Amino acid sequence: MKTKRILFILAAAVFLISGIISVYLLFLRPKPEKVRITSDGETLYVLEPAREEDRLITVEYEGRENVIEIKDGRVHMLKADCPDHICIETGWLDNGLPIICLPNRLVIEYEDGRTDAAAG
Amino acid sequence: MKSKKMNAKKLARLGLLTALALIIYIVELRLPDIAPIPGMKLGLANIVTVCALFTFSPKETALILYARIILGSIFASNPSAILYSISGGTLCLVGMALLRKHFSKKSIWLCSVYGAALHNIGQTAAAVFIMRTTAVLAYLPILIFFACISGALTGLTAQFIILRTNKKY
Repeated sequence: MKTKRILFILAAAVFLISGIISVYLLFLRPKPEKVRITSDGETLYVLEPAREEDRLITVEYEGRENVIEIKDGRVHMLKADCPDHICIETGWLDNGLPIICLPNRLVIEYEDGRTDAAAG
Repeated sequence: MKSKKMNAKKLARLGLLTALALIIYIVELRLPDIAPIPGMKLGLANIVTVCALFTFSPKETALILYARIILGSIFASNPSAILYSISGGTLCLVGMALLRKHFSKKSIWLCSVYGAALHNIGQTAAAVFIMRTTAVLAYLPILIFFACISGALTGLTAQFIILRTNKKY
């Protein structure tokens, strides 16, 4: 009985904490200026969308293509050859959540200063 | 001789449950995504896993789970999903099997919450490993948050099934 209560409280705590962290990531996290595009673990581009001209970037992975669009200082996935198209539905990169294409192993994420310093 | 007959019976039951899990899995794939978040699903097939875990042994549940994952990803022609499913499913099953004895038949839903959260942890761990980036970790809190809700609901479904079918199905 006692273990059950502990397990219930633990589950409730996990639920609340994950909820709070989600809200932080979705709405409150400050946005860095630089965006990193990674394919299969290798960094392809580090860009500042605010300073980029509108253009399309095509990334290929095992014969499948993803087209990333930079427009008006924002980034999103325009086309993808993957089965689920979750990366397209994610929309513009405008919160703490990266755009991820699992099948094509492509990640578009904000680059925070910490990783930048480590890379430099 | 008698034990062999029991085995055949059990095998048939396990086979039926696998078929059921597979149908639920395939039907769920046809449902629209709840949110554009990689890896987020209702996990309806987990109802069968939870039911099986509280009726059969963890070993037999593992048979159902892996048969469903392997056949499911073949039928859905999405082989890249298999690694995520296997690591998530394994962690979910191991966790629930260890916690099983702490839960009565009226708190099965809570066991399922743990299973769902562990499934997402396993899935994300596989994604970190495969994608070779920690960017996917950003989705973990959101996945766990919704896993708690969907895990409670699928677990509640499993609980009702177990409470209302007293016999082993």
